[in-house]
Amino acid sequence: MNTNKVAKEIFLDAGIYSGEAVKLAAFVFSDRADIRIAPGKGVFTVSVSAEDAEHTVGEFLNEVLNQQCRIDLAKKNSKIAGIIVTKALLSAAGEK
Amino acid sequence: MAQKQATKKNKKSQSLLPQALWQKIGANYLLTNDSGHYAWLKEKDFALVTAGKMAEKDPLFAELAAKGFIRNRLDFNDLAAKWKKKNAYLYYGPGLHILVMTLRCGNKCLYCQSAAAGLGAKHTDMPLAVARKSVDLAFNSPNPGITIEFQGGEPLLNWEVLKSTVVYARKKARISGKDLKLALVSNFSLMTAEKAEFLLKHEVSLCTSLDGPKALHDENRVSSAGSSYEDTVKWIKFFQARHDTQVPEYRVFKPSALLTVSRYSLSSHKEIIDEYVGMGLEDIFIRPLAPIGYARRLWGKIGYDAKDFSIFYLKSLDYILKLNQRGVVIREKMASMMLDKIVNFRDPGYLDARCPCGAAIGQLAYNYNGDIYTCDEGRMVGWEGNDLFRIGNVFTDSYKKVITSATTKVCVVSSNLEAQPVCARCAYKPYCGVCPVYNYETQGTLWGNMPANDRCGLFKGIFKALFTLLKNPEKAAILKKWVAK
Repeated sequence: MNTNKVAKEIFLDAGIYSGEAVKLAAFVFSDRADIRIAPGKGVFTVSVSAEDAEHTVGEFLNEVLNQQCRIDLAKKNSKIAGIIVTKALLSAAGEK
Repeated sequence: MAQKQATKKNKKSQSLLPQALWQKIGANYLLTNDSGHYAWLKEKDFALVTAGKMAEKDPLFAELAAKGFIRNRLDFNDLAAKWKKKNAYLYYGPGLHILVMTLRCGNKCLYCQSAAAGLGAKHTDMPLAVARKSVDLAFNSPNPGITIEFQGGEPLLNWEVLKSTVVYARKKARISGKDLKLALVSNFSLMTAEKAEFLLKHEVSLCTSLDGPKALHDENRVSSAGSSYEDTVKWIKFFQARHDTQVPEYRVFKPSALLTVSRYSLSSHKEIIDEYVGMGLEDIFIRPLAPIGYARRLWGKIGYDAKDFSIFYLKSLDYILKLNQRGVVIREKMASMMLDKIVNFRDPGYLDARCPCGAAIGQLAYNYNGDIYTCDEGRMVGWEGNDLFRIGNVFTDSYKKVITSATTKVCVVSSNLEAQPVCARCAYKPYCGVCPVYNYETQGTLWGNMPANDRCGLFKGIFKALFTLLKNPEKAAILKKWVAK
């Protein structure tokens, strides 16, 4: 247990951020911080424990936003994105 | 009534701008679309176009209609043909096959991303059986054009295997009917007249590294034998001379050189470019250093941020254009490849700026031991102890298994700009690409986070500079000449 770690608590509006985005961001940060997520009524309480907690929390929030935007974009673009990926993979595999 | 409402709704949608991307640069707007067309618009014209209120008699109307920016004038056949031409790589599979002939190298370059081993590490030489199996697997790609690139370490340290592989690959090409290009990336420290003759006779194109004048080159590319500059220059001149004289029996390609920009290079753009010009090289590839592999450990000493590189790059581009205006032939390679897409709607084969990126579906990297990676950058991550980008082995896995591996799929998915939140709306999307390996190494995920991504910042800087230059008729004429072929 690293005793230099400091825990900071943040609150994320569940109307803006989905649980999926918060969990994905926590996973991305799993090698840099200890993260606990507690879902509440309309809010996620997230505890970020890291050596440079202030900086890590800022980066974590950016990552939550990044993941949420990616999830939102997928809802709009998944069809065209899927066509491109399928074409690229099928061609590379020698399938028409 | 319902019909009337539908007509009204149709009229409304007819008047809006079709799919387009834009970016405000200075006082004007750069408008682009997926087929690769672009237009520069003043603020008032941009407002008219986006509101669908540009009058047919407007002098800009015909140009914008031809480029696919007016909804009810879309020429789908033309737009689709341009899109297909620009994205032709989606139809072929991997064309580039990198064979790491050895990890050994006599140089200890400050920024080496190739994970070079010491000269005694003979166990890192690729055995002939691995080389042949790698060639066999490469020829299983459906791509009608195969490029086999011999890399290292220093590939000439494994000369006998390299030689046999060249002959073997040429034979495979004759049998399969595929178009085969062979390329060698070498520091030339072990080049001899005999080796040179063999390579020329078998039409192997040659590429080396040249980081600038002697002092800078030797500072970056530290050689155990003293100066690495002398050998590099000697053999560039030799191959230049052979190219200039040609022979009827085989084609002799012009040698090329790669520049890697370290922190030590940032103050010397003129001297570096002059060195290339003096050497008779007509292309200079100004490549940024990537914090991957060995370079990552030394980043604090030799690295820089995107802003520093952008300043260096823009000063270099400006200087090159000034030289061009004086009649000197020299082009910047990265700009040329971007321009090929912007001006010619053509895929220049730049695997780093494709959507999806070239990992596995555009290139494969074969390590000395037969392990196959999505790309050379992925192999370097493997050498650092993380085999995330390893997708098979030539002895145990078929081409199909490699290309349908989970890692291949995730690289394709994560580098698809349509799935990247910032990229999907970026004006440079039709010409750009992201690198999952870079994202993973610098930001911890294959997707990365573009607003904080240095590579993204760097590409944006280059695109902004190129589009701004294309607004100037005199400079546009020079740049278009770079890609006129």
